[in-house]
Amino acid sequence: MGTYFDELSRSMRYLSGKEESIFLGQAVAVPGTAMRNTLTEVPNSKLLELPVEEEFQLGLSIGLSFQGYVPISIFPRWNFLLLATNQLVNHLDKLRELTGQSNPGKVIIRTGIGSTNPLYPGPQHTGDFTDAFREMCQNLEIIRLDHPSLIFPAYQRAFERDDGVSSLIIEWSDKYND
Amino acid sequence: MVETVDMNIWNASELIKFESEIAELFNSGQIHAPVHLYNGNEDHILKVFQKIKDDDWIFCSWRSHYQCLLKGVPREVVRQAIVAGKSISLCFPDYQIFSSAIVGGQLSIAVGVALGIKKSGASQHVWCFLGDMTAETGIAQTAIRYSRNHDLPITFVIEDNSISVMTDTRSVWGNNLLSFEESVSKNVITYKYKSNYPHAGAGTRVQF
Repeated sequence: MGTYFDELSRSMRYLSGKEESIFLGQAVAVPGTAMRNTLTEVPNSKLLELPVEEEFQLGLSIGLSFQGYVPISIFPRWNFLLLATNQLVNHLDKLRELTGQSNPGKVIIRTGIGSTNPLYPGPQHTGDFTDAFREMCQNLEIIRLDHPSLIFPAYQRAFERDDGVSSLIIEWSDKYND
Repeated sequence: MVETVDMNIWNASELIKFESEIAELFNSGQIHAPVHLYNGNEDHILKVFQKIKDDDWIFCSWRSHYQCLLKGVPREVVRQAIVAGKSISLCFPDYQIFSSAIVGGQLSIAVGVALGIKKSGASQHVWCFLGDMTAETGIAQTAIRYSRNHDLPITFVIEDNSISVMTDTRSVWGNNLLSFEESVSKNVITYKYKSNYPHAGAGTRVQF
């Protein structure tokens, strides 16, 4: 097992080898976030740089999943993902009930708890809403990656599962440098 | 195998008849869920559907009975879904229809489907229905602009009844012209109509 960062890079490499995968968000095709550094081995053809509008990004991801893609939708911080709560709670979490389908499509959401060292970016960039969203979403797999050993199995299962369950995977940005 | 319907059965009077039947069922307490009925837009929506092909996608809001019928979902199937309480979020995946009861909820999902179609090189088209108040939201502006700039196979159909529930759209936005009237977009079509039904229900207070 590698370091936290190594395991994330390995997971992204694994996902990028799947025909159905597509990675989207802000700073996925260009530098700008720590998460971007885990995507350097993903082919450019699989990276979709988007305008910054989180609600739009997650809805777009759901639509792509209806077309057979498995989007890896990247929101660098939990505080940013909050802006997509409508699509997360009212749509993605309810897709199977709304459509009556057992497997309407799935999305893998990547987000992170902002780092506090060496810079502390303040309360709007360091939130962890994992427990609250576990209460709010009954049909999503929500996993917080507290240890490197959890990383690859979480992303592998998120991709391979065929039960129509989408995954919300939370990373610790402070562990990127461990 | 998806059961398909001969679309020639649908004309304005048959659509009105269907909604009248749903209104009666609602007013007599046989539907234990909200319903949102169409009225007054029949000729407009029939004209839109002349362009819609069987394998196209349809995205709707909470008011979608006509779209489901005109896309080919059998009348009885739509009726049963409404009676079962699903009027405000009718989804028929076999007919590629998705509805959301959340303002603007369907818009970015529709854009994602259109993006997927373009990436795969398929010939399908996405038709996304929304009302005049929804058309003023930020998510609508984003969805329309992104789709237009990336030349995605999607048309937004703005159905303008000038109100949202009982709120006058133009009055609350402080302008006689809404965004889609001030700036015409090639991926947007619009029509105006007036309905005899209220926003929800069918005009009678129902005691369950």
